[in-house]
Amino acid sequence: MTNRRIIYKPIPDAIRELVHKHGGDRSDVLEILRDLDRQQKLNPESVTDTARALGLPAAELFGVATFYSMLSLAPRKNVIRVCDGPVCSETKAAALRQALEAQAGGAWSIERSSCLGLCDRAPAVLVGEQPAGPVQVETVPQLLQGWRGDLPDYSQARQGEVRVMLANAGKLEPDSIDSALANGAYAGLSKALASTPEAVLGLVEASGLQGRGGAGFSVGRKWRFVAQAKGDQKYILCNADESEPLIFKDRLLIDIDPHQVLEGMAIGGYACGASEGYIYIRGEYAAQARRLERAIAQAEQKGWLGSNIQGTPFTFNIHVHLGAGAYICGEETALIESLEGKRGEPRLRPPFPPSRGLHGCPTAVNNLESFAVVRHILNKGTDWWKALSSYAVPGTKLYMVLGKVRRPGLFEAPFGLTLRQIIEEFGGGMADGSSFHFALTGGAAGTLVDQSLLDVPIDYGSSARGISIGAGGFLVCDQTVAPVSLLRELMHFFAVESCGKCTPCRVGTWRAREILGHMLAGDGRPGDVAELRALSDNLLLASFCGLGQSVSVPLNSALAHFADEFQSYEHG
Amino acid sequence: MSVNLTVDQKKIQAQAGQTILQAARENYIDIPTLCFHKDLSPTGNCRICMVEVAGQRLLQAACVTPITEGMQVETRSPRVVQSRKLNLELMLANHPQDCLTCDVSGECELQDLAYDYKVNVPAWGAKGTRYLPDSDPNPFIRVDMNRCILCRRCVLACAEIQGRDVWGVAQRGFEEQIVAGAGTTLLEARCESCGQCVAYCPTGALSNKLNYGLARAHQVRKVMTTCAYCGVGCQFDLLVKGNRVIGVSSNPGAPVNGMALCVKGRYGYDYIHHPDRVLTPQVRRYLLEGRQKSRTGSEWDWVKVDWQVALQLTAGKLASTRSSFGADSIGVLTSAKCTNEENYLMNKFARQVIGTNNIDHCARL
Repeated sequence: MTNRRIIYKPIPDAIRELVHKHGGDRSDVLEILRDLDRQQKLNPESVTDTARALGLPAAELFGVATFYSMLSLAPRKNVIRVCDGPVCSETKAAALRQALEAQAGGAWSIERSSCLGLCDRAPAVLVGEQPAGPVQVETVPQLLQGWRGDLPDYSQARQGEVRVMLANAGKLEPDSIDSALANGAYAGLSKALASTPEAVLGLVEASGLQGRGGAGFSVGRKWRFVAQAKGDQKYILCNADESEPLIFKDRLLIDIDPHQVLEGMAIGGYACGASEGYIYIRGEYAAQARRLERAIAQAEQKGWLGSNIQGTPFTFNIHVHLGAGAYICGEETALIESLEGKRGEPRLRPPFPPSRGLHGCPTAVNNLESFAVVRHILNKGTDWWKALSSYAVPGTKLYMVLGKVRRPGLFEAPFGLTLRQIIEEFGGGMADGSSFHFALTGGAAGTLVDQSLLDVPIDYGSSARGISIGAGGFLVCDQTVAPVSLLRELMHFFAVESCGKCTPCRVGTWRAREILGHMLAGDGRPGDVAELRALSDNLLLASFCGLGQSVSVPLNSALAHFADEFQSYEHG
Repeated sequence: MSVNLTVDQKKIQAQAGQTILQAARENYIDIPTLCFHKDLSPTGNCRICMVEVAGQRLLQAACVTPITEGMQVETRSPRVVQSRKLNLELMLANHPQDCLTCDVSGECELQDLAYDYKVNVPAWGAKGTRYLPDSDPNPFIRVDMNRCILCRRCVLACAEIQGRDVWGVAQRGFEEQIVAGAGTTLLEARCESCGQCVAYCPTGALSNKLNYGLARAHQVRKVMTTCAYCGVGCQFDLLVKGNRVIGVSSNPGAPVNGMALCVKGRYGYDYIHHPDRVLTPQVRRYLLEGRQKSRTGSEWDWVKVDWQVALQLTAGKLASTRSSFGADSIGVLTSAKCTNEENYLMNKFARQVIGTNNIDHCARL
């Protein structure tokens, strides 16, 4: 390589206009990059020009553009993303991808994607921004002609379900605020506004509501930290990045009633003293992002969002921010970085977001499901909330039961269910010809359990007993699925989605996938299992963020329950 | 306010607000680091400085963890050592086994740590070259990203010390790599070849092109000197092999500039042994022999003289010009290579000795 003569050219007008259109602020870079990508003009040169127009170093914007999996600096056509998440993999997504590549011809670019959040439609694909599934090899021609498959129907409650967040499923027109208002929307916010922020905080604290992202931290306490933090500007962030395989509850909650979420955020804003809220939604949920934007516009029109809500001094604006393909952005500090227009890498903690979050201001980051609950607690009070079940953890939770059960899908129920109940009572029992082998509980970063844990009540504390609830995903595997095989799929996911910031996760996940791949190919070597254990321990002990640390959960649990089976892959 | 803590069973005191690493190092307790450098913002990326803190389930990165009263820290517990070894192994797995020919061998922080912790390149690692070695045409900076351990010190050095933001982090996960600009060459990414990134690189990923292959750390003598290029007074070490200056390296103890240097200071040393370099004063023969100016024959030749002769001739010419044509017939032009004090003296010389305001300086161009 030789040095070329460097010629400085003015920034092209098209780039200037694009940057201007999006407000010229660095937090809008994902929007700008996505527009360039859509116009098939995303390349190093346009990235450099955009960086100059934004006053950013080219290297930094290039770092952002190459971080997110949905953006591509290589030219490509209309994109079909084929999910290679664990559920779709078990339903022959690889064959589907081959069929697509063979039949799509030159008009389409076929790409792999980490879990698309369409596990109830597996094997699933994303055609442009349109979800489709289940797509079989035989239905590929229809898919290419515009068929998108059938949506699962969640309007009927399953036997034993307790519906709070899902109560309106199928009952209202999600794009109409009138329909939502007729079904009780904003009554909770109305109650909140009639009382004091302190009273709302007290109520949410007293409800014992635990954050639904997986860690189960008290929502009320988090809000109180934000309310007490010093600062004129505070933010409410809704984490709708649900990119963890097995999890798709946020998508359905938005599709059922977007106002349920907006209302919860507004109540949070009132309690915390925040006037701005952001919904960070994963890039694959573009349709849901638009639904939320429509709902926000309607709510503003009706005076339930925006300035001086319902004539009170309370002002609350909600903005929707679409991600661009990165599991790591579900980590709250990475989410904040991404929202600020940077690479979605986790931040050093402390400081924690409630004291210094978005733009350095006090910030409450909660899972979308947590916000969806809040309306009901305001409406019906903590006694009702606690009386929903006799279990120690109050309220209900969304569960996703997937895999080899008769009726896979989403349902709402109280805490304390056992895996056996989830399979037998809600999942309709094991599918015909299937017998229980093991399950992955919580999500991809959850526990892999055998039948010894079938009868342990599951909640946020049950991970200490070896079975975690995570975000509520349960993948049930039968005798045809080997734990090594599923674990390899999971490590593939983590390796592809690792942000790369710290060594244990960047190389550790990659190496774990490699070892498992060798084992599956019959090339396992003595010492492989010991190395997996060492990698797993190091991921837990030394990773920078919670996502890296959590990779050890499926690894360790699988190695604990299936030690002999893993050992049997070691040859020579 | 001071904080009491225990590090490796040793009770120490440190200032509130310090990190475990700062407190330990001030008390002569060594905690190894790679991505940390005292001049740069700590990032906690590499996970080499992990330590055990009583009451914490997970290991903590010493470089970014603030100390608290009564904290109990173990810097060499079995868990810590095992984690450090594995992290080193994960780095070495993606590092070529080319220490035999690497320029930086002997002053490489990764090599030192591998030695300290007895870690070899794992059998599964170093499977080949992921990037082109010597991939950048910059005339001074040699880039070999195969040796990069993604500590990001180069990115921070460029951004925080030089303010050029040439380097960045691209891609993610295992594909993550350090790139210049939008994946272009250094010079196209506005690099001004100061070499700060080289000075801060802990491995041989970034090294100096001019002296590549000429000598390793243990083969050179370091001679501290003050830069001759301008009046700032930066100091650095000349790398001397035999009796030749083969390179320059930053001296962290330099009072004015620390590790920082500009392209001239760091890379503009080839004049030292250049055959064209003028080592003694020289005058034209006609001047030396007191004849009329002549550009012909040997009259125009340079003749080597001593300072006494050269200065006397110059002073005499200046005095006679001044008396024949007046003070304003003389002008004084000074140089950026002079110090402030020297420039001040030349100003006095022009105005008070010669008696003219005709004084200027090359730096105004």
